[in-house]
Amino acid sequence: MSAAQARVADAMLRSLGGRTVLLHIPAPAVAGDLGEQVGLATPLFQDLSIGPAVFRKIRPWVAIHAKERAADSELLLSATAVTQVVGSSGYRSADVLFANASAVVVDGAMLEIMSVASVEAFGSVYLYRLGLRAAAADLT
Amino acid sequence: MLSVQLAKDTFYATLRDRVAAGNAARTVVLRGVVRPGVVVTENEFPGAAVDGISPSDVFCLRWTSLVADTQGAMPLLTLGCEIRYATDGTSGTSGLDRGRMLAAMDAELIAAVSMVPQRAGSLLVTEAAAGGTSTIVTTGTNVFWGDISLKPATMKNERMERTAEIEVFCYGQ
Repeated sequence: MSAAQARVADAMLRSLGGRTVLLHIPAPAVAGDLGEQVGLATPLFQDLSIGPAVFRKIRPWVAIHAKERAADSELLLSATAVTQVVGSSGYRSADVLFANASAVVVDGAMLEIMSVASVEAFGSVYLYRLGLRAAAADLT
Repeated sequence: MLSVQLAKDTFYATLRDRVAAGNAARTVVLRGVVRPGVVVTENEFPGAAVDGISPSDVFCLRWTSLVADTQGAMPLLTLGCEIRYATDGTSGTSGLDRGRMLAAMDAELIAAVSMVPQRAGSLLVTEAAAGGTSTIVTTGTNVFWGDISLKPATMKNERMERTAEIEVFCYGQ
């Protein structure tokens, strides 16, 4: 990672609020367990703290009741922090980490991850942009 | 009704085992574990890209309908099951073999569903204690199914897709 771009990104995130969010990640499945495959046993979850981050709404809440709900909020995440979590939690890459995460917890609210984009400079990622939406179970 | 879930679980487990026996290489990695390439979408994370046919080269089951015939001594339940699958072909051939890959999946599915007997003893799956695996008990009743109906293949960009439908039956308890 290019240190200069990463430091600038982290400084920007801190100056815009620099909050911490939680990545809600299920434990690995139990190999060959029919109960999990048929939805009987639900996995344990762990919440990984990650920050600095900036959270903002990008669509009005009225849109979330549409049949095909798009992301209604956006999370900007420090690539430095993501790299630390990837290393400490044993995931091969940030892509694998986000693919395994079932949600992001912001102020106690569970938000589904709809998209992940990386922002790069000189081939190095210095920021992640996540598209989020409220979990369907929380809308009723 | 308990029988509905028994029928769903039994048909899935039977199809999974038969597909794995027919082609052990038909696998999918979900939540870090390699499984036979048969998935019930309603049992996976909504955002885990298993809704419909997002993962390629995997059979995705979706339970679509339920009819209860209550005229007999025991109600006959008919469950509609939709099996969706897709392939991009192999990257080494730039996807030129996607037709053959879809044909291979057709053959695997037909063989698994049409294998005699077209029934299985219904399985009662009970949740495991913490850290263990679930317990499976055969209840003594049967789940049975009809012939499979394959819909026309469709193209979505470079991806070939097909939907198959089958009816699964059991007697209610």
